[in-house]
Amino acid sequence: MEIFQGVLGGFQVALQPINLLYCFVGVFIGTLVGVLPGLGPAAAIALLLPSTFAASPVSAIIMLAGIYYGAMYGGSTTSILVNIPGEAASVVTCLDGHAMARQGRAGAALGIAAFGSFIAGTLSVVLLTFLAPFLARVTLSFGPPEYFALMVLGLTLLTYFARESMVKALMMAAVGLLCGTVGQDTISGRFRFAFGIRTLEDGLGLVPVIMGLFGISEVLLNLETREEQQEIFAPPTTGLLPTREDWRASTLPILRGSVLGFFLGILPGAGAIIASFASYAVQKRASRHPERFGTGAIEGVAGHEAANNAAAGGAFIPLLTLGIPANAVMAILLGALMIHGLQPGPLLVKQAPDVFWGIITSMYIGNAMLLVLNLPLIPMWARLLRVPYAIMFPFILLFCLIGAYSVGNNVGDGLVMWIFGIVGYLLKKFDYEGAPLILAMVIGPMMEEALRQSLILSTGSFGIFVARPITAGFLLVSAFLLVLPLLRRGVRISQV
Amino acid sequence: MPRDLVSGLFWLAVAIFAAVQGISLKLGSLSRPGPGFFPFWGGVVLGLLSVVLIVGSLRREAPRLRMRPESAKPLVVVAALLGYLLLLESLGFVAVTFLFLLLLFRLERRGWAFSAVSAGVGAFASHVLFQLWLKTQLPTGPFGF
Repeated sequence: MEIFQGVLGGFQVALQPINLLYCFVGVFIGTLVGVLPGLGPAAAIALLLPSTFAASPVSAIIMLAGIYYGAMYGGSTTSILVNIPGEAASVVTCLDGHAMARQGRAGAALGIAAFGSFIAGTLSVVLLTFLAPFLARVTLSFGPPEYFALMVLGLTLLTYFARESMVKALMMAAVGLLCGTVGQDTISGRFRFAFGIRTLEDGLGLVPVIMGLFGISEVLLNLETREEQQEIFAPPTTGLLPTREDWRASTLPILRGSVLGFFLGILPGAGAIIASFASYAVQKRASRHPERFGTGAIEGVAGHEAANNAAAGGAFIPLLTLGIPANAVMAILLGALMIHGLQPGPLLVKQAPDVFWGIITSMYIGNAMLLVLNLPLIPMWARLLRVPYAIMFPFILLFCLIGAYSVGNNVGDGLVMWIFGIVGYLLKKFDYEGAPLILAMVIGPMMEEALRQSLILSTGSFGIFVARPITAGFLLVSAFLLVLPLLRRGVRISQV
Repeated sequence: MPRDLVSGLFWLAVAIFAAVQGISLKLGSLSRPGPGFFPFWGGVVLGLLSVVLIVGSLRREAPRLRMRPESAKPLVVVAALLGYLLLLESLGFVAVTFLFLLLLFRLERRGWAFSAVSAGVGAFASHVLFQLWLKTQLPTGPFGF
């Protein structure tokens, strides 16, 4: 009953003309960002955050959230037509999607990607609607030790799923935790790692760091490796609607992808990228024709697109119920909520039900808009892809510069972005990943506070983390994940 | 030199720096952790992981560092970005943006005329979009824009 009222109230908020407009602008920009390779949703949201300061909190978050799930739709277009992932989570879509385009079935691939995204997006919002308030009630009883243990689990998960080495991912998490300590210590009030520099005394800004690590460094890498002309398939104007045959092949993968994606999305640190990779593995195993995958199987496109869209919905759960961001995008949304004077966490649903339900219900509307928006506009997006990178990259850089400057109207944040741009470039060159760094930097201060409060509570005994069942459970799983790769390596060595 | 050795040594230095800073910030006690507690232990963990990486990189088959960069373009862009930030407040948004775009279009070997016109249009359009429409606070230069 409570949920029903909440949803009703949410729609009252989300259907206000101004919020419909913000939602539309959000999903439109999101699709654009998804289509354009080299500009991810995290950098785009960071860039547009300052422009929402004048809007009401609900409108602002509705728009920023729209950019996130909109980008998941847009990414598939580029993957299918150009064989470059428009954004990271659609890497897998390239495999079967581009193969379909080669066979002249680009229309069907684009169509099923849009429908799969819509179905999964909507399903995950339904799950979000029912799970979020329930989880908020459960997490209300969480104290500092539980928060600390959960954040440890989140960081461990992210490093466990690292594609390169786990040691390097853990190192990035440690670097992120250290970056998070820059600025004033909340408990003692002392400055740390500030060296008397004003910009650092306020702490490293999340927006400049993200734009440096994911925006600037991406451009630098592209400048080196990019070949000028790529084969772009002409966008089909007909045949976008999947046939009955296509539906028969795709329905189950879409449902599997949705559920898998949603639950992987919830886990802090997992997110849409891992969801789409995991979906590929699962779909292939569950399929009766695994040999079709990679050769242009429509169920391949449908399943992964479903997974990354569902993960985008799931990612809102830890943000709305715990105040813990599951990925870099959620970290910026967390920042946005706080800038607008809201405290995300278990109390949000009680203190600001209009915001809580307004955001969730706006996602139903946004997903519907995306379906309508995407199919007819595909020719337009495809034309946009023909703009040469030589024209595009100076503007991407310019937007990053403007974005970093306008966060605090000073050059200092721009310099932070500049430094992290170079750092991000070098990290890629040396095979490190930026994601654990960002997540650790965001949750670092919360983690530190929770750890120090826990130790004060227990007068210095680490027993407090073992004595509480939830805490012990989280930490046990984390320890297991950390040890697992070592065990596997041990087995491999003993086999040799 | 092995690639992981280079990055491992770098992070080890960062770790030692963080741990030393942590000690000077006061570690406090376990029942009352001080401001240096978290940086110190963060540094220790990073340091241990760096050592693991360094040891692993000493295997013979570890990938080597390629000294020659593939292209000078990233270097030019990095310099252009710094120049933009340093000149922004003295020259003003529109002028710096024009110069920045001009340089980058030229970097991709577009002709002078094309680059100048595109940079001009780009600078004007971003002026309209950010300063006039979105009302972003961007510095105006000596020319009044």
